[in-house]
Amino acid sequence: MNWMITMAVIIVYLIIVFFIGSFAGRGRDSSVKEYITADSSLGFVVLYFLMGGAIFSAFAYLGGPGWAYSKGAASFFIMGYCALGLVPWWIWGPRAARAGKKFNYVTQAQLFAGRFQSKALSVVVAAVSILAFVQYITLQMKGSAYVFEIASGGRIPFWAGAAIAYIVVVAYVFFGGVRAVAWTNVFQGVFMVVTAWTLGLYFAYSLYDGPTNMFQQIAERMPTHLLVGPGTKMGYVEYSTAVIVSVLGFSMWPHLFMKAYTAESERTLKRTIVWYPTFAIFLVPVLFIGFAGIMQVDPETLGAPDRILPWMFANMNFGPVAVGLVLAAALAAAMSTQDTITHAAGSIFAQDLVQALKKEPQSEASATLWIRVSVLGFGLVSYLVAVFGGQTLVSLLLGSYGSIVQLLPLTAATFFWPRATKAGAICGVLTGVVFNYLIVLKLIPKFAGVHAGLQGLLLNILVLVVVSYLTKPMDKAHVRQYVEL
Amino acid sequence: MNNDQKDTGYGVVIFKEGTPPKEKRKGLFFFTVLSLIVLGQACYWVFANSVEPIILGMPFGMFTVVMLIVLEFIALAVMYAMEPKEEFGESDMGGDK
Repeated sequence: MNWMITMAVIIVYLIIVFFIGSFAGRGRDSSVKEYITADSSLGFVVLYFLMGGAIFSAFAYLGGPGWAYSKGAASFFIMGYCALGLVPWWIWGPRAARAGKKFNYVTQAQLFAGRFQSKALSVVVAAVSILAFVQYITLQMKGSAYVFEIASGGRIPFWAGAAIAYIVVVAYVFFGGVRAVAWTNVFQGVFMVVTAWTLGLYFAYSLYDGPTNMFQQIAERMPTHLLVGPGTKMGYVEYSTAVIVSVLGFSMWPHLFMKAYTAESERTLKRTIVWYPTFAIFLVPVLFIGFAGIMQVDPETLGAPDRILPWMFANMNFGPVAVGLVLAAALAAAMSTQDTITHAAGSIFAQDLVQALKKEPQSEASATLWIRVSVLGFGLVSYLVAVFGGQTLVSLLLGSYGSIVQLLPLTAATFFWPRATKAGAICGVLTGVVFNYLIVLKLIPKFAGVHAGLQGLLLNILVLVVVSYLTKPMDKAHVRQYVEL
Repeated sequence: MNNDQKDTGYGVVIFKEGTPPKEKRKGLFFFTVLSLIVLGQACYWVFANSVEPIILGMPFGMFTVVMLIVLEFIALAVMYAMEPKEEFGESDMGGDK
């Protein structure tokens, strides 16, 4: 009986999100620019949540407590990089936005393809982004599936749970474009933050008489759990390089990069960057939840550490409505990321792959249709990966991070180094991505705990510089346009 | 070497032409401050790898990470406040002037 009330709360939540999403995009024309960038008209509050929704993902909401529970201090890394992730955007964002205005770009690959005069580069960048997106989305789907599994007391199997949340997301992204993504994220963002604080503090107080006492008990029982370094779950070098790669790579994510084109002004962009670290503070109570779980359940019983948050609620004798609200918030975290990524992946696939490979330019209407079809196709592919592929949440994300950060030298060269050439750019990116995956797939050994992405990045820069100097410089007037933005 | 590059127009361009020296200095200053914060965040274990003292209910390591975030927020806010006003006007992005 109780599980039906819980499910009812979740269903009401899904209906609300669906309605906000479907109405947000109504009455707008169906141009590509509107669908992808909302005609550059989004203001500060909406943009803040649009960016925040992407990070307040299943990774933060389910993976965060999972890390606090199983890896301890290593989870501080999540706060560190969430806060710093957008800082490099102060450099890239306004420049990307000005380039978008000037040359009519709506995606990141178009910028690179324009600067380096290469369709091949557009295809390479799109392929890298979509691979990373599939991994990222898969993670969110698993998150939603856990939620449904626990809410229904195991009555809704994994495959069905992943499907339900995703169908709602795909439906409103398909019709509403970026406006639907933005407005649902505002609702979901507020909802998540409120539940996170309430519950993090509630657990710490009801189970341990406050967080201070909780951490003292943890430190007594597991002396190394709240530390990093040798003998703990994460070494020094590992921690530092993971933070650095994540900070450098974060603003390279194509969906965040694309958001530079949605802002109504540079002022709005910069204000979003200033306020962004506040999202990381919201993670404090989320980590508390994971720490609070340490003495409540042993890892064997739990299965995957990512289940800690739903497990805590399901086993705390809360009323079914409260459980429903919390699980809906976890779902909000997963869905607000899914919609952003799905929207970006669909746009990139249609604009940067299909468009680049087609001979003739397509009409506005057919281009927007292509994006919508890509949204559906991408959804299906990642669903299949989620249901049939199996790995833990966080390591998946770190794997894809390693390849996204490889776009950093391209971005820097675009805006700061006119001498960089087409051949240098393509060789650099390919070297970085291939090297990163060789390490992730364990075909070559990892060097001294240094993050695979960072090793790839160093090689990438080296190749970019050397090959650029070996090849003929590009047309001066053309490349100067990009550094004078 | 540096001059050669400038002449050919292919050298590294950090500031676009015509940026006043005061702006350049400010840019470099904030770049340094924020880089130091990133470095502090990455290497927080050098100076705060301990549980005690527990401040505001957080172990010292976690507290340090949070303090670095607050510091970052302040640095960004100051940088935002010091942005030259005319830049918003001249960027033809519509803007909420």
